[in-house]
Amino acid sequence: MSHHLFILSPSDTPIYSLTYSSTKPAGNVSSPLSSNLPTWSTSAFAGTLTALSGASSTTQHTSGGGVRIGGGQDRHVIQMIANASLDAVEEVMRKENTMYLKSVDKFNEWTVSAFITPGNSKFILLHEAKNDEGIRAFFTDVWELYVKTVMNPFHSAQRVIKSNVFDARCRASAKKYL
Amino acid sequence: MSSAYAHPHPRLSSVTSAASSPTASSSRFSLPSAATLVTASKAGTGQRPNIYDRNLNKTRVAEVSGSAFSFLFSEVVQYTQKRVSGINDLERRLNTLGYRVGIRVLELMIWRAESSSKAPKREIRLLPSLMSIHTHVWRAVFGRPADALEKSVENADEYMIIDNDPLVERHISVPKDLSQLSCSSFTAGIVEAVLDGLGLPARVTAHSTPTAQYPNRTTVLIKLEKSVLEREELLK
Repeated sequence: MSHHLFILSPSDTPIYSLTYSSTKPAGNVSSPLSSNLPTWSTSAFAGTLTALSGASSTTQHTSGGGVRIGGGQDRHVIQMIANASLDAVEEVMRKENTMYLKSVDKFNEWTVSAFITPGNSKFILLHEAKNDEGIRAFFTDVWELYVKTVMNPFHSAQRVIKSNVFDARCRASAKKYL
Repeated sequence: MSSAYAHPHPRLSSVTSAASSPTASSSRFSLPSAATLVTASKAGTGQRPNIYDRNLNKTRVAEVSGSAFSFLFSEVVQYTQKRVSGINDLERRLNTLGYRVGIRVLELMIWRAESSSKAPKREIRLLPSLMSIHTHVWRAVFGRPADALEKSVENADEYMIIDNDPLVERHISVPKDLSQLSCSSFTAGIVEAVLDGLGLPARVTAHSTPTAQYPNRTTVLIKLEKSVLEREELLK
């Protein structure tokens, strides 16, 4: 079960991303058929098509009779879902005054949770299973790390966060809570 | 100024203790001489504390002396003045510098207030945001709340924060030929950054409005963008 975290600057430039695969068992296991499929059907393209077609995470029968596995695990599909969720996030953050917005958006098997810092930076997390409390704790940790990063006078809002320590701490927190 | 800007403290103290040079230990000055600084930082690069190891919550001990800040700010103004062609330009640059401070003040201030809460809150309404700038931001930066928050009578989109004796100008006397200049543009920049961060974009400027009682009295004028007022209407 994987998690994808994106940190966006106030002007929505991605400044950090993290992919974390947790060892906890996934709620909905994808079909074992995927391993038997020819490579062309699980290529990036097929994944995009399946993901876009709105299919659920399980199998889908195409017109040709072949069976395809739901996409959505490809890097660019993940990024697209994260990007698309921004609309939902912005709509909610105008009305809600909490920083942690749980499950603001859903796309196929992915649920999107967000955290808005007071300075309007956004943390976007794509996850599959429901884990509100863990995600809240994770966001709180990332927030502290983010504030520490911002306090650095050499950091500017648009700059990508490249610190190894930041990365390691985020991963440690993900391991603990996700 | 208080708080976040005191970052060098732990590092400096570790440097002084690491430096065994007699100049540092016997001297009456709290800062080690330049030479010991250089050698110590070369030797100690491995153990220098990481910014992620620092605690963000030491408000009491991290206060900065007012004279140190005045000295620093006077250098900032002089440095800026050498690089600009007019008063407008100078104010704009001071505003930009303040903006950089403001972004950090906002993040840190709210983090300190909300991070221990189960459901941290953001401010989304206009008036509470302005109140919090008037009270909390001023207290975080200058150690006391501002003296007044007023709404303009003529224009619905203008608000004013008034400080009778702004800290940044306490030791500044503006020469006659620069009479339009208000060094509180730096403060205006802080306010602008905070408003921007809260999603309330505005143009913020500072103006000297002296009275007989308060010769340093300064008004920070906030001119909100149209979108802010429209949104505020919708939220009602």
